[in-house]
Amino acid sequence: MSFIFAVLRQVFRNFRQTWVSQLMTMLTVSLSVFIFAFFYLVYNNMLSIGDKLGYDLRLIVYLEEEPIPELQEQLRRKILAFDEVEDIHFVSKAEAFERFKVQLGEDQDVLEDMPEDFLPPSIEVVPLKNLRSLNQVKLFSEYLSKLPGTIKVQYGQDWIERFYYFTRLVSIIVVLSAGLLILTSVFMVSYKIRLTIIGRKAELELLKLVGATNSYIRTPFLIEGILHGLLGSTLGLTSLLGLFYWIKMKFSGPGILNIFEFSFFQPPAIVMIAIVSILLCLTGSYTSMRKYLRA
Amino acid sequence: MSDQSTNAMVELIKVSKTYRPNIRALEDVSISIRSGEMVFITGRSGAGKTTFLKLLCKMELPTKGLVEIDGLDIRKMQGKRLSLLRQQIGVAYQDFKLLTDRTVAENISIAMEVSYLKQQIVRKRVRALLEELDLSDKHSSMTGDLSRGEQQRVALARAVANSPKLILVDEPTGNLDATSTGLVMDMLAALNNSGATILIATHDHTIYRDVDHRLLELRSGQMHQLRDGVMQ
Ligand SMILES: Nc1ncnc2c1ncn2[C@@H]1O[C@H](COP(=O)(O)OP(=O)(O)OP(=O)(O)O)[C@@H](O)[C@H]1O
Ligand SMILES: [Mg+2]
Repeated sequence: MSFIFAVLRQVFRNFRQTWVSQLMTMLTVSLSVFIFAFFYLVYNNMLSIGDKLGYDLRLIVYLEEEPIPELQEQLRRKILAFDEVEDIHFVSKAEAFERFKVQLGEDQDVLEDMPEDFLPPSIEVVPLKNLRSLNQVKLFSEYLSKLPGTIKVQYGQDWIERFYYFTRLVSIIVVLSAGLLILTSVFMVSYKIRLTIIGRKAELELLKLVGATNSYIRTPFLIEGILHGLLGSTLGLTSLLGLFYWIKMKFSGPGILNIFEFSFFQPPAIVMIAIVSILLCLTGSYTSMRKYLRA
Repeated sequence: MSDQSTNAMVELIKVSKTYRPNIRALEDVSISIRSGEMVFITGRSGAGKTTFLKLLCKMELPTKGLVEIDGLDIRKMQGKRLSLLRQQIGVAYQDFKLLTDRTVAENISIAMEVSYLKQQIVRKRVRALLEELDLSDKHSSMTGDLSRGEQQRVALARAVANSPKLILVDEPTGNLDATSTGLVMDMLAALNNSGATILIATHDHTIYRDVDHRLLELRSGQMHQLRDGVMQ
């Protein structure tokens, strides 16, 4: 109890003496949390958009002639040799005709004069619903078009591909901004605390001489680090939430952005970001303190 | 805690201290100081008095020999154990080591805060000490603004604040007039009477002339006993 009290008194005293630089450190941390969380949020939303797009994605491989069961098995093995897939479905001429009829609905009488086998047979390949298989959909289609007996391969539009290039770009930015977050929190906080240590050298030396334990000297600095992480991430995430709602409001009504439902982080993600920021700042202050106390 | 009458509070066996590059500050010092003793150490400037005191609180390590405080080898004291030991050793440094940008009260409080004394008790003790040393009106002054003599008394107040069992005082009266010297020595005598072991390094013969405590002299690093003390 008195330990906590003694520690808090020191934290408070130190803050009163150096609040300007404390504030700067906190703002730096919150800015980097903001930048990281912003790109991470964009990335998250793109992933969920991608999920929706990917749900409809299938490659249709048109074949010269209907494969006998043995050949079907061979083709299936060849397809699986490229990558695992969600589903492989062989569509016979008859099935294609039936489907077409269903699609035409009331107009199906136009088919009356046609032979039942005028549509080519095909294989429908449904890729796994993950980013990797979507990223390589083009490669996959090239692979499939080289299978013997293939006429051509069709799949979703070009823009799906472009969308995934963009997603990959964003994921790189997320990684970079995560690096930025790590660098700024750890280095800013450890630099800040090193400065404080230098500024209070006489006092810290004296504390050692009058018998202050390492935890007595260290804990206030660690708490300072925790506070930087906590307040920094709270401020960063709150600003991002503000920006998020501002954008949502600005672009509400009919428009491209309304096709998809954008969402903010779920509570677990928010807690994770806060915890990681706190741990990073704590690491920063711990390393500075350890260096000092060892010396 | 050791038995007051028989156990040594300070035990040095064949202790030498050589500073870089080759300054022999102490040579083969062996001395035993009983718990509850008050001892004066004199010697010319540079004789090694401060060095002797620094060895006792592990501010310096001996180059050779054994230093024990209350039966504990100082070399083996580290981390938390060293901290706890230092909380029981009050030191009034020759150069004071005061925080000049803090108030007098804050300077004295530090020694008690590290052992987590209640603020209430700390405040009370600070006032009592300032009263005793005739510094009551300096309670909230910046320590850097005080005169040397006042700073010297603040340093002493901090050394004794936490009621340590061993008190090391380095030149306590250098800047003081006779009256203030009297206050300081009365305070130390009272602490000694209530059981504290006290070592005083000094040039000032007036403070040991009229008392019957043990008197040691350091002469170029070697310890000589000038007078045997009478245990009180
Ligand atoms: N850190 C140090 N590095 C090198 N030499 C030192 C150091 N500290 C003390 N000395 C030397 O050791 C010798 C003993 O010094 P010490 O301070 O113990 O003397 P003292 O008896 O306290 O003197 P004074 O009465 O002037 O305070 C001196 O020659 C001093 O120059
Ligand atoms: Mg000296």
